[in-house]
Amino acid sequence: MKRFGLIFLALLVSAMPSATKAEENYTFDLSEIEKKPYHFSGYIEAKPVLYGLNSNSAFYQLRFFDDPNRQALPEANGRVRLEGSYEKSIFRVFARLNTDLQYNDYAHGSEQTTFYEAHASAKPMPAVTIDVGKKTLKWGKGYAWNPVAFADRPKDPDDPEQAMEGYIVATADLIRSFDGPLTIVSFSPVLFPVYDHINSNFGQNNKLNTAGRLYFLFYDTDIDVMFMTGGSRPDRYGFDFSRNITTNLEIHGEYAWIQNTQKTVLDATGAAKAVEGQAHTFLIGLRYLTSFDLTAITEFYHNSAGFDRDDMQNFYSLVSRSFDAYQTTGDQTGLERAAQLADSGYARPNAMRNYLYIRLSQKEPFDILYFTPALTCMINTDDSSANVMPEFLYTGVTNLELRFRAGVMIGGQNTEFGEKQNDYRIELRAGYYF
Amino acid sequence: MKKTIYLVFALIIMLPFSAFAVDGTKLLQEIDRNLSPESYESYRKLINIEPDGKKKEFTLFTVKKGLDKVASVFLAPASEKGRSTLRLGDNMWLHIPNVGKPIRITSLQSVVGGVFNNADILQLDYAAEYDVLAVKEEGGEYLLLLKAKSKSVAYDQLKIRADKAKRLPAKIECLTETGMLIKTLYFKNVKDFGGGIVRPAVIETDSPLYKGYKSVMIMVQIKKRMLKDEVFSLTFMPNLESLR
Repeated sequence: MKRFGLIFLALLVSAMPSATKAEENYTFDLSEIEKKPYHFSGYIEAKPVLYGLNSNSAFYQLRFFDDPNRQALPEANGRVRLEGSYEKSIFRVFARLNTDLQYNDYAHGSEQTTFYEAHASAKPMPAVTIDVGKKTLKWGKGYAWNPVAFADRPKDPDDPEQAMEGYIVATADLIRSFDGPLTIVSFSPVLFPVYDHINSNFGQNNKLNTAGRLYFLFYDTDIDVMFMTGGSRPDRYGFDFSRNITTNLEIHGEYAWIQNTQKTVLDATGAAKAVEGQAHTFLIGLRYLTSFDLTAITEFYHNSAGFDRDDMQNFYSLVSRSFDAYQTTGDQTGLERAAQLADSGYARPNAMRNYLYIRLSQKEPFDILYFTPALTCMINTDDSSANVMPEFLYTGVTNLELRFRAGVMIGGQNTEFGEKQNDYRIELRAGYYF
Repeated sequence: MKKTIYLVFALIIMLPFSAFAVDGTKLLQEIDRNLSPESYESYRKLINIEPDGKKKEFTLFTVKKGLDKVASVFLAPASEKGRSTLRLGDNMWLHIPNVGKPIRITSLQSVVGGVFNNADILQLDYAAEYDVLAVKEEGGEYLLLLKAKSKSVAYDQLKIRADKAKRLPAKIECLTETGMLIKTLYFKNVKDFGGGIVRPAVIETDSPLYKGYKSVMIMVQIKKRMLKDEVFSLTFMPNLESLR
């Protein structure tokens, strides 16, 4: 019996994969790390979206006034983004071209191709980089909003990680490193021209604006101080910061002061009035990672130049009266005026004063690798309306990203999210990188 | 009270390591230098292997300077290309080209998924982050017990089993403050990379927290390189690939 036991043990041991035998023969193709002077890559995306429409809402009546009983709007979206670069010596040129395609049975098809970025760079030394051309500067520390991003287009708070189109600028990065609590200082001056064919939609034309950002890493805290002046837009100054309080808790904030902002507000009769004043805009945010890999991001955003509840209610009333007038008389004048006001600010994302953003994302729950469900809430704290967005992201296939997302608007009449054109939206985004 | 319990627990763990035959700190510094020069550039491949054998691979270019500065940029796959990470001491950032500005990340997160976390990928010298509590000799190996110098270090304790002759790690167990095993690193395939660098080319890791999953880090090239401090800054992150 003892002998049989020993034979069994020997067989068991020989059957067990020893460390040496189990060791895989990992290979590496050296061409993968060979540096070429040029680079070309791209991204292609398909995004079908279903909008569940709210035909009683102000923005539905403004957009679909000639089709008052539509319940849903299916839409097909496509995107192709190509980018390439070429490097020689200290010089580099880079371009990113974006094409958006859209089709729905109301507006039919549209196509828009834009250079998101196209610039030339020189790097005479590691501490100095000079860029000229179209570029995104991406200032700020906020996740959903960046009030201090003076020289960038506003990002979409519903999808803040999307690539954005830049502006034509001349800029430089000058970096200096130190020993001690002040570790890094960098300065990024910016020349921002606004002329007939250069950045013409930014603000007042025929101005050469200047901007700058001074960055410090001081006592393990990121601090930026920035400004923009020159006349195309009112002068503005700001700062931001970011710091880890503990290894899994980060705090960040931004503040911007803008002189002489202007907005058009309406009274109860719909009469417009231009209002001037200073604007103080800030956000304060936290990012927290739990021991079970749940990341929570929360931000509070305040914009003193935003519209208040009365302003928005007067706008919604104007749309409602104009829509009724169109239905009874066919006169579009009121709707056209409302559309102009919408373009001037009432339709921009987060046009009011106070918002709370909460995003919870759980990395790889139930041991499902590369799977990240998330829940995002954008809450208007002025009128207690909200946009709640559950999503599921899967990145398990190399270079393929699949995201299913829904958005549900919560809010009654005369509230921001209650007056959006849709009650809900459902979308699937399939993106492939090459 | 909690601190006292941890202290007693640490002392119990230390009991088998009571023989201080060698200078532990010096030994750990030797192990660090044998693994890499203090300042270097390297190319690495990370492979995440799922229980069904499915793999996901990442290629990184990494530069390190001194005790506390390390930066990496992803070269492949296409979905990650251009993403860069920076570590300055306890501070870590991730820069995603489309998103733009660098965001702060933590050592326990993982920019690649799988078993390796950011602290494994942006590894500093062990001696920079850990104190040697005890060393003992066992056959042809040293056993080192390390304790994190601060709470911000990813693993509170490390147990290193190192080859006595080569002074290179063979196996490292990463533990929490209570002694719970988080992951095990296996160092394999010792290879001559030139320039006097002879070190394991493969680091495999598994974790009881990710049963059935395995991640592998393959060192493809490593060589001494001295870079300016300014390279290790948020402002330079979008340009890291220009160092290649």
